[in-house]
Amino acid sequence: MKKIAIIGFGGAGYNAAKEVRRVDPTAEIDVYSDTNTGPYNPMLTTYYVKGAIPYEALFPFGPLEDIIADLRINFHGGKPVSKLLPEEMALEFADGSREAYDRILISTGASAVMPPLPGIDLPGVFKMRTAEDAVHLKAALDGGKIKSCLVIGASWVGIKVVEDMVSYGVPCTLVDGAEWMFYVAAFRETAGRVQKDLEAKGVQVACGQMLDHIEQEGGRLTAVMQNGRRFTADTIAVCIGVRMNVGFLKDSGIKMGRGVLVDQAMQTNYPGIYAAGDCCEAMDTQCGIHRNIGVWFNANKQGRVAGANMAGSHMEFDANVLVNLAHYLDYDFISIGDISACKPEDEVYEYEDQAYYIRAVRSGREIRCINVIGSADSNGVIKNAFIKAVENRDAPLDIQTVCFLKAKGFPDRFIDFLGGKTVD
Amino acid sequence: MKHVFVFDQDKCSACSACMMGCMDQNDIDVTQGEKAFRQTFDTEVPTEDGGVFCAYLSAACMHCEDAPCIAACPAGCISKDPETGFTIYDNTNCIGCKSCAMACPFGAPRYRKSDGKMVKCDGCNIRVKNGLQPACVRACSFGALTCVTEEEYAASGSTKACHVLIHQLGLKK
Repeated sequence: MKKIAIIGFGGAGYNAAKEVRRVDPTAEIDVYSDTNTGPYNPMLTTYYVKGAIPYEALFPFGPLEDIIADLRINFHGGKPVSKLLPEEMALEFADGSREAYDRILISTGASAVMPPLPGIDLPGVFKMRTAEDAVHLKAALDGGKIKSCLVIGASWVGIKVVEDMVSYGVPCTLVDGAEWMFYVAAFRETAGRVQKDLEAKGVQVACGQMLDHIEQEGGRLTAVMQNGRRFTADTIAVCIGVRMNVGFLKDSGIKMGRGVLVDQAMQTNYPGIYAAGDCCEAMDTQCGIHRNIGVWFNANKQGRVAGANMAGSHMEFDANVLVNLAHYLDYDFISIGDISACKPEDEVYEYEDQAYYIRAVRSGREIRCINVIGSADSNGVIKNAFIKAVENRDAPLDIQTVCFLKAKGFPDRFIDFLGGKTVD
Repeated sequence: MKHVFVFDQDKCSACSACMMGCMDQNDIDVTQGEKAFRQTFDTEVPTEDGGVFCAYLSAACMHCEDAPCIAACPAGCISKDPETGFTIYDNTNCIGCKSCAMACPFGAPRYRKSDGKMVKCDGCNIRVKNGLQPACVRACSFGALTCVTEEEYAASGSTKACHVLIHQLGLKK
């Protein structure tokens, strides 16, 4: 009987356990978690806050008790792993006890970053990542305690907190340290349109603002920027990004970048030890480097791949490309590909009509990055055309993709840009 | 009993009867700008040799074997019906985030503005479970679109099953 340990129980951990159980009905599965809650999805938190879903829906795989029974796992809640000993294939716990396994999965996820700046711990300064964060914010909003909000960080979470504030009618300002919004995914031209739309919806936006510290005066909070500019509000949301939960792996010998490095089987540099989800860096198909692409789909798929391989079957995680999707306040923006790979000398395709704004960059026949505003229904079609082009520059688009894009009103030149419309 | 949609492009004239059947069955509110889950395409595509290829297609959810929309849905709304094999959904907890649309290489899931939720073709699951054909299949006069059991499909020798198209076209996620 195979003995398997899963460290961390979010989307990746859950899907790994499910796949192990599917492939191997006899495996013993020990799940270790630093909480006593079931797997939840951080992406759902802001939807719970604005009342789009009930609390239970934060847990998309159902109640923990049902999961434990269905998957026949041994759940060790409130028992974080302090150390991983790869040579011995063992885990060490706070009390010094150890447990050895045949296979180990690291699926510890990521946590919201709170920079160690003066005032960051003041009451009214919050983050948005966990179910608990969402419960606190919702209670404050429902209780009418928040009359204004400053959101620091035009991140994918930050923009959703802005949406929450707007839905509660709370005046909101969004500030970001970068030169323009969604800096890691949006071209300047795209970001300009995004900002204009947001401002038209009543949200103040200020870019190029790096937080220095936070002050409290008369029950209100003031974020003071490095350039001296001051932003005052009742509450401040800090949404500047996440950090992978891999501190317990320090000096373990497990190869790491920002997160745990894995191959296509989600295996680390130690055979039998795997990693999946927000704590790992898998191979980016476009650039051939290790990168964490922290989206829910990847966490689920990577968990499943790791689970299959831990149980003795074979599966690979592929088609890992950078994708950022932001949808908020009836606005959709998607970025596909690596914007940092774009060079000034690259060819730019730009198009705008009432439905879409498209800006895409290509070097020779290699597509680097595509930004589209307003294309939500077509995003999967465009993304897959991009992946196909990355994997094989000479592969033309299939006829179905061409027909779909034409029917959706995308210009012929964009279809050509994606891979042409020549039929075999 | 698992079912398979089969589309024979050579028999399709994009007459749109399938689309009308879908519209009727699913109470698509065209006055609100909604579109049928099944769409037809009558498109002229230039070919490399300077000619024109006239594409006649009917497309909806392909009910992919390993449907990427299932893993992509953050709220766990999409699943496989173990009986029919169709990709079905319960959008009670749908947050309208459009992650399913981003995962689908065929553009099948779409956002319904009236209630802020995603909707898609469910293969007329309830009809099939009750021994009926999907509405689009019933409306197709040319035999271009059919829905058969896995056993019938295997015996037919056809290679035109929709659920494997994701692999055949080299589309990933």
